[in-house]
Amino acid sequence: MDLSFLTVQVLSALRQAAFLFLISSGLTLIFGVLNILNFAHGALYMLGAYFVYALTLHLTGPAGFLIAILAAPLGVALIATVIETGLLRRIYMQEEIYQLLLTYALVLIIDDLAKIVFGPEFKSIPKPEMLSGSVTLFGGTVPVYTLLVVVLAPAVALLLWYLLYKTKTGKVVRATSSDREMADALGINMSALFTLVFAFGAVLAGLGGALAGPVRTVFPGVGTEVIIESFVVVVIGGLGNLWGALVGSILIGSLETIGIIVFPEFEMALIYLLMVAVLVVRPWGLFGRPLKIKALSEKNLAMEAQEISPVHFTVHPAVRWAPLLLLLLVPLFAGRFYQYLLTQIFVASLMAIAFNLLLGTTGLLSFGQAAFFGVGAYTVGLLLTKAGFGTLPALVLSPVVAAAVAGIIGFFCVRLSGVHFAMLTLAFGQLIFAVVFKWYGFTGGDNGIQGIRVNPIPFGGMGALDLGSTQAMYYFVLVVVGLSVELLRRIRSSPFGATLKAIRENSQRASFLGVNIKLYQWTVFVVAGAFTGLAGGLYALMEKSISPEIIHWSKSAEPVFMTIIGGIYTFAGPAVGAVVYVILNSYLVAWTEKWALVLGLVLLTLVLLLPGGVVGYVNEKARQTLGKLRCIHKWPFSKSATS
Amino acid sequence: MAFLDLNSINTYYGRSHILFDVSLSIEKGEVVSLIGRNGAGKSTTFRSIIGLTPPQTGEVIFKGERISGLRAFRICRKGVGFVPEDRRCFPDLTVRDNLEVAARREKEVDSPWTVDRIYALFPRLQEREKNLGSQLSGGEQQMLTIARTLMTNPEVLLLDEPSEGLAPLIVSLLADMILRIRKEGVTVLLAEQNLHFCAKVSDRAFVIDKGSVKFAGTMKELLANDEIKEKYLAV
Repeated sequence: MDLSFLTVQVLSALRQAAFLFLISSGLTLIFGVLNILNFAHGALYMLGAYFVYALTLHLTGPAGFLIAILAAPLGVALIATVIETGLLRRIYMQEEIYQLLLTYALVLIIDDLAKIVFGPEFKSIPKPEMLSGSVTLFGGTVPVYTLLVVVLAPAVALLLWYLLYKTKTGKVVRATSSDREMADALGINMSALFTLVFAFGAVLAGLGGALAGPVRTVFPGVGTEVIIESFVVVVIGGLGNLWGALVGSILIGSLETIGIIVFPEFEMALIYLLMVAVLVVRPWGLFGRPLKIKALSEKNLAMEAQEISPVHFTVHPAVRWAPLLLLLLVPLFAGRFYQYLLTQIFVASLMAIAFNLLLGTTGLLSFGQAAFFGVGAYTVGLLLTKAGFGTLPALVLSPVVAAAVAGIIGFFCVRLSGVHFAMLTLAFGQLIFAVVFKWYGFTGGDNGIQGIRVNPIPFGGMGALDLGSTQAMYYFVLVVVGLSVELLRRIRSSPFGATLKAIRENSQRASFLGVNIKLYQWTVFVVAGAFTGLAGGLYALMEKSISPEIIHWSKSAEPVFMTIIGGIYTFAGPAVGAVVYVILNSYLVAWTEKWALVLGLVLLTLVLLLPGGVVGYVNEKARQTLGKLRCIHKWPFSKSATS
Repeated sequence: MAFLDLNSINTYYGRSHILFDVSLSIEKGEVVSLIGRNGAGKSTTFRSIIGLTPPQTGEVIFKGERISGLRAFRICRKGVGFVPEDRRCFPDLTVRDNLEVAARREKEVDSPWTVDRIYALFPRLQEREKNLGSQLSGGEQQMLTIARTLMTNPEVLLLDEPSEGLAPLIVSLLADMILRIRKEGVTVLLAEQNLHFCAKVSDRAFVIDKGSVKFAGTMKELLANDEIKEKYLAV
């Protein structure tokens, strides 16, 4: 390796690190103060790039380019201000996950709007001549623009340091990030500060996009790639820590550069591996500190009161089984399309209900469920196509393999909590995605597995169950999912499930009662992984072809959506959400190209207006009505909810 | 009308009713104690006044103006200072920065608190000026939280269990400081479990138990009233 090669590679790594730092410093700042993991940060980055593109169409020459680079981040800040004051501000009192979802909905909306305004194609932004040349450094040829970026990013870091540590506003920002309530009581206007910080974070994202635009291409959705990388950076560095973002950016930037040279096949997997390695040694990141255990805030107490409220009604078994009977009759009057659609809904429901065993019951937000779904699907796919297994043994093994994988991943993940847990599950999921995507010899790489043959299931001596028709598959999936859901329901209402709820409500108290919290969380993670794997196995059987897309993290977002749509604190909620989501998705795709936009708007509306989900809303209404009735008739068992 | 009035406030955490028709009134320049056991409702009373847990009914009147319903930072800016019981210095900020971020209302008062005046009152803080909040001892943290709230130039100071967990020597220092703060013209409402500490610094007292006020009178009357002491304070 000679010096010129080294120079070129080092500068290329630093350039990559510079872009990453610009984005992740804003991300980490926003997290530190607002306590929101801003999924839309990548979309803001993308807007920065598009604004430069649009401006340079009219402004030419070096001066025009400079104006565009400076004006674009301000435009992004303006949009961020609207987002913060118009949307985010309304849900600060809600749980973290709603804020996460709101920003995710914004990603869908902003990406689609960008597609409408700027078109779906790749755009490249021309650099002015002054910046397009290159210089020779230690014998290596280095673009001038790269040097510019590499110098500019440390300057921004220095400026950030000055603002945060040397100005009063900066000190107030740091004070607020460590204790919001205290800052409030000391006369600090939190709303104004939040807007300021969110807009400032957006400026950094916008600047990142503006500077990256001319060397990378711009297209709708480019932000999604960037945001995942930035997540990795801030998690490695420590969420909310500026120095962590700096060091994390340099690490990831270098690793990507080395990865491309040394292991071009597994470059993607490499950064997730690093993240996993760091978190295993330092669960809160290199510079991070454990998040404080939240004292029981008013909000939590209110929820607790709701949860233990005696106004509780159980559904009569007949009501519970009626839908099942109805579903058994569906094929008599519904065509193949509807049967297929319903089969999809069954599989999605199983995945969502299993997911909600983690989120709603235990309070763990997993953002990597697609990994277990994928493992289940690939287990069935590989066993059927390559190992000559029968349909039933392959399907039975899918939850087993998924549980084994969940056991390993869970071992690392349950050491963390909250957003860190979500991030680590996301990273593991992406690691599995990266491996499956590239391992052509075993998984078929990005081609996936086509033409899975579903052999008839032998039925003792009495012939065989042929799953060849849509109708047979419908019944088969209905039965498997029905049994699984009943099992999940029993798990949730068992003493084991009650302990999980206790962990969600107050893990500290639960541990004082002698509950081994981590063991419970690990167990439920494995159980949820197993059922998700089974859902994946069923998916492979019904679709007969699978591709790595089903492991991608955007697939992990689906059960989150469904659960939020349906309602997080109810058992049936996720299934209702699955119905809404699958139908919405399949009709929207057929009806409009802008389905992501519509989906985003629906999600946004739900988060803002029905935070308890559809089923939660219905329950609350029923509760109110029942409560009123009881007051009027003075029912003997109407106890007051308060003591 | 008194300087600070609580007119039968009721405060809830979610659906749990915590304060039941609590009424207090404090005159300008007084040091008044709010005495009660753990969980009696002292902190909730303070959180209701400062607006962190606003009362659902009843009202808080400060200098003739209704402040209940305002957000905490607005109430602070009206001149109500709150020192929480669990200290809560900003751990990542130096002692000096902890003071500086709180500075406000300099124009509203005749002789505003400055960092130098604070250091004159708490010389120990000057010695530790460059240390981070997380590096202080318990007593130093208590001083810093009081000092930090003074930087907001409050006209009434809500002190929540300042003596809790401090060594006896520090506690008697603290009593001196409260009296000096009062001399500076700041009205003080002090929540305490420690009756003797209250007797040293305050003239009047309220006794609170299970979220309602059980006694109101002078400190002397309270010290003479064995029934109240035994029933609610277990001394």
